[in-house]
Amino acid sequence: MTPGEAATAAGGQDAALLDAQGVGKRFGAVVALSDGRLRVEAGEIHALLGANGCGKSTLCKVIAGTVAPDSGTIAVGGDVVQFRNPRDAEQAGIALFYQELSLIPQLSVAANIGLGREPRTGLGFVDRRRLNSEAEALIALFAGVAGAELKPEAIVADLTPDLRQIVEILKVLARRPRLIILDEATAALDGRQSARLFEILRARKAEGVSTLMISHRLDEVFAVSDRITVMRGGATVAQLVTAGTNRDQVVRHMVGDARIHPVTSQRMPPALAEPRLTAQGVRNARVHDVSLSLRPGEIVGLGGLQGQGQSALLQGLFGALPFTAGRVTIAGETVALTRTADAIRRGLAYVSGDRGRDAALTGRSIFENLVAALLVREKRRLVRPSELDPLATRHADSLNTQYAGLDAPIGTLSGGNQQKIFIARWLATGPRVLLLDDPTKGIDLAAKGDLLAIMRKLADEGASILIYSSEDAELIEWCDRVLVFNSGRIVTELAGPTLDHFHLARAAYGEAA
Amino acid sequence: MSAVVRSRPWLLTLIALAVLVAVNTALQPSFVQPAVLQSNLTTFLPLTLVAIGQTYVVMGGDIDLSVGAIAALVNVVTVSAIAAVGGDGLTPIIAGLAAGLATAVVCGVINGVLVAVLRLQAIVTTFATGIVFAGTALFVLPQAGLPVPEAFWRSYGATLIGLPVVLWILLAGLAFALFLGRRPFVAHLTAVGGSRVGAFQTGLSLSRVRIGAFVLSALFAGFAALCLTGETASGDPLLGQSLALSSISAVVLGGTALSGGSGGPVGSILGALVLGMIGNVIFFAGLPFAWQTLVQGLIVLAALAGGVLVTRR
Repeated sequence: MTPGEAATAAGGQDAALLDAQGVGKRFGAVVALSDGRLRVEAGEIHALLGANGCGKSTLCKVIAGTVAPDSGTIAVGGDVVQFRNPRDAEQAGIALFYQELSLIPQLSVAANIGLGREPRTGLGFVDRRRLNSEAEALIALFAGVAGAELKPEAIVADLTPDLRQIVEILKVLARRPRLIILDEATAALDGRQSARLFEILRARKAEGVSTLMISHRLDEVFAVSDRITVMRGGATVAQLVTAGTNRDQVVRHMVGDARIHPVTSQRMPPALAEPRLTAQGVRNARVHDVSLSLRPGEIVGLGGLQGQGQSALLQGLFGALPFTAGRVTIAGETVALTRTADAIRRGLAYVSGDRGRDAALTGRSIFENLVAALLVREKRRLVRPSELDPLATRHADSLNTQYAGLDAPIGTLSGGNQQKIFIARWLATGPRVLLLDDPTKGIDLAAKGDLLAIMRKLADEGASILIYSSEDAELIEWCDRVLVFNSGRIVTELAGPTLDHFHLARAAYGEAA
Repeated sequence: MSAVVRSRPWLLTLIALAVLVAVNTALQPSFVQPAVLQSNLTTFLPLTLVAIGQTYVVMGGDIDLSVGAIAALVNVVTVSAIAAVGGDGLTPIIAGLAAGLATAVVCGVINGVLVAVLRLQAIVTTFATGIVFAGTALFVLPQAGLPVPEAFWRSYGATLIGLPVVLWILLAGLAFALFLGRRPFVAHLTAVGGSRVGAFQTGLSLSRVRIGAFVLSALFAGFAALCLTGETASGDPLLGQSLALSSISAVVLGGTALSGGSGGPVGSILGALVLGMIGNVIFFAGLPFAWQTLVQGLIVLAALAGGVLVTRR
């Protein structure tokens, strides 16, 4: 075959709709993708699976043109493409569903669906009638499962979350893409709405349109997908035909040959004491009917894929995202946690992994950052630094924090050392319950080791610790037991022999133990 | 009712304007005479035009503090160009208008590129470019003066098909606002101001839309400058210094949220007229001039608070 013929063949029948090879992307020092590979044929529903941080979202963003890759090639219909922005990808027939993020709240449903490609009249005006009738036709796809409020003229800000999600889906469909990328598109939908979405996607499949879906439910994946690509640690590790595999096999690919029963720091369960903290049927925006109990000296993990309600539960307990229903008790006493100051005075402490947003008093000294919570706890109005200095020094030193002096600005510390200061901030208040929200984000291994030691010491001294981590290994290594979340609910509880990567990954995808 | 007001917040401004007109007429019965109306409109017109342009920038989530300085620069460039071309007839006037409006467009592009392409903060950037434009105006014409030809200011004060030219200009501004309001541009501008992330992910070209808004703002400041030139019949490098903040007041009074993504220029036109009428009413009620600023300030504050409370619900 001459080179010319080879090129024709590549661009002809054999070419996949989408073929991504060796895609790499780093954000600063973090490698999000090392070897992303994905091949989607025309007219198929393809599922992209993997544990937290495996790079599946980054790969989708690269394909949709919102993130520029550092390496690798992407070919659409056999032609190598380089997308500079989402518009380029759209012109190549690729449309990405963004969990509500691409809607303009102030505009109507019809205006949102048609945004950027408005039909025009002869005078160049927006053809409102056609805009509305096109929206009407798309809305009809969800007739019977969406509320009557879903009308072309309705303002998006007034819609409920499920209807907003449907509008986002319709906006994707309106672009008549050849490849639809759905990242958690069913998260806010109810069962009938999801079923309708998959009916629509199957109908599109017959027209040669493909769907790439990211889902947090294996049920869904096995019900609708034709093929599955599994990613792990920034690389594609398996490309499977759905009909020829099963759930356990998929989960094994997700966790790899990680030790099925790793060496953990698990100890004997603490003596059966009265629970320190209990929650019964609590709910807020992202938590649906969660109950749990936490004993003194216990380290309990919250597992699952990102954004399944773990952070919302911790923030609810801390009064930052107050619960709308349910009951919380602390040491047997029912408490109302509607403000963070309440929670602090009840002996709760919250450490977030998002230091920039939740913790740092930027530009202020280490000392000021350290005593911030203590002042709230003790309702102090006047501060005499000389009185607090020894206390601050003691707590900062207890964590092996490297710092020049308490007067140095917080920004002079490394991420790991900053995080220690924020933990020290809470240690100074003598917390009874420590809530940790992905506390190891962006800190190095040594600091993680120190953090684990601190947690252990606190627990041994009788504190209760509730920790969410996006890294399964930490949960397995650090926790006495792990509650696995899916869609705002606890799917299962893992402890002892079932607390391993395999069960954690399986449960994260909604499979009960 | 509340839904009607929420989608058309300028209805409240219209009611306020009607009340002010009634009060003014009661205090000053001659208000409704055509000549008085025309002189009032001549006074209000520059701010009204600047407010139309400012609306587009605010809708896009930005702000333009340089409009007053642009007006001054356009004024001095226009009169200087007329003087430079010299002679009689229409040629120097057309040259002056063209030079002035071209200057406005350049100012708008500079603002837009700094804000939308270099991603500098709009409020600080336009404050700074405003100083630069004002400085340039002083450079072009260090002292007030340089009269414009009689034909210029005569035709500005004249009537056309039975209606004053100033009214035609106002109607043209309104027609332009309505025309643009039906083009996709305004939908895109609303999207850019409503959610930058959403607009980007939808594939809109954010910088093109935002630069467009700054150019419109500068262009309308330029039109206002030409009106002021017609009124004063000469150049003044210090003209229009209060225009920036007054135009923002008018935009807010007209129901456009400073956070972007809502509102429209029709409200701003009404807002500018309300601001002007407040001054009238205070004057004819015999209150000291100091009250005018105070009352205008309080009313803008009330409009801002009202807007925030309505959106917070």
